[in-house]
Amino acid sequence: MIATFARTVLLFSLILAAGCERQPAVYHEQLLVFGTVVDIKLWGVQPQRGQQAVARLAEDFDYMHRTWHAWHPGPLGRVNELLTSGKPFTATPSVLPLIQRGSELSRLSGGLFNPAIGKLIELWGFASDEAPKGPPPSDAAIRAILDQQPSMADIQLDGIKMQAQNPALKLDFGAFAKGYAVDRAIEVLREMGIDNAVVNAGGDLRAIGRHGDRPWRVGIRHPREAGILASVEVEGDESVFTSGDYERYFDWQGKRYDHIIDPRSGYPAQGLSSVTVFTQQADLADAAATALFVAGPDEKDWLPVARAMGISGAMLVDDKGRVQITPGIRKRIYFEPRNDADKTQPEIHISAAL
Amino acid sequence: MIALKLSRGDIVVWLLAATLLVGLYTAFWQSDGRGAEAVVLVNGKRWARLDLFQNQDLEVPGPLGHSHIQVRNGQVRFVASPCPNKLCVHTGWLSQGGEVAICLPNKVSLQILGSDPRFDTINF
Repeated sequence: MIATFARTVLLFSLILAAGCERQPAVYHEQLLVFGTVVDIKLWGVQPQRGQQAVARLAEDFDYMHRTWHAWHPGPLGRVNELLTSGKPFTATPSVLPLIQRGSELSRLSGGLFNPAIGKLIELWGFASDEAPKGPPPSDAAIRAILDQQPSMADIQLDGIKMQAQNPALKLDFGAFAKGYAVDRAIEVLREMGIDNAVVNAGGDLRAIGRHGDRPWRVGIRHPREAGILASVEVEGDESVFTSGDYERYFDWQGKRYDHIIDPRSGYPAQGLSSVTVFTQQADLADAAATALFVAGPDEKDWLPVARAMGISGAMLVDDKGRVQITPGIRKRIYFEPRNDADKTQPEIHISAAL
Repeated sequence: MIALKLSRGDIVVWLLAATLLVGLYTAFWQSDGRGAEAVVLVNGKRWARLDLFQNQDLEVPGPLGHSHIQVRNGQVRFVASPCPNKLCVHTGWLSQGGEVAICLPNKVSLQILGSDPRFDTINF
């Protein structure tokens, strides 16, 4: 009897021990940089190496933040001053790649992603460390900028010489600098031989490799409620970027004005509460999330933009909570029940394939 | 293979063991994703680790002044912070593993830890 009992206890301990995995080898650190929290997870990396890598990323993010800030003084500010002069000048090397990539993405989006509308963003009060309180600007003031149609095509690049003729042009890379920075961070990690990582800059992320023997698990926050709307597994190399009307906005006389300005109307884009884009490159994902948000909730409006930009998937949540999703993403995504009592799922419409 | 001759006592032990195993499995692995702890960072450095089921109020010192953080019944939030835009306060209650609220001007951040978080990272 005692022997049997001992055997049982031994067997039982073995079963339990088998259930206890070794702590996963994730190196985790958060940085307060780039005007947000950057959350970095590296899998299978020794702490010392992890520290080195994160210190390097912290420096890079800090540099990019100072260089590309849309309203603090710095290199982008100087470029903006020189652009309004109308005269040719030598392009600043730290800003040039952003202008080139920004122009390319703007063209692909048919101008819906337009980093040249810094003056409109300023007019709405979103180019500020403080949230605007309203009132919204006047139609006349908006019209005055729109009539001059600022766009990336106004910038003429000739070697390292740069010039623009449009006085309404002002660069604001807020809708894609974060994606560009995340791409650089992933490049740096790969150069350091780190192939399994997630870099999440204020909610927008790119993940490479895997979390050990499983993919990375990404939760997508609900645009209107606390908690998670859906989850998706990511492995290999993919970015997940969301643009939402809840990120920056102000309410004025019962109406919400969000920070995503439609370059066609000069007013905040209407109809959607969030757009999540899935694709490899983070800068593309970032710009496309803005472009699709501006395109609006009608499939015949946003789908052609998604196709033209070449993203691999998208999920759009409209202001009534209805979800549209591309078929490839639908297969991979799991909609979380809101709580234990309520198992209802949002109304989901699967769009045509990209 | 040893032939096991099971007495009534053995069966009771085995049943107890099986019950305990199921119980432990459920307790440890079937987490609903709600975190039990949160961490407060000031300037990226850990300032406090909070038990979310121990209600309390904290005054966290940052460069601009004190951020008021409140813990109530498994949730945590910024109640007040000396920042201009109050984005941290607007974030509201956090309860799920991985959720974050930050006060950038005052360099204070708040994140829920999960003992078995369902997600490695949160997109928003």
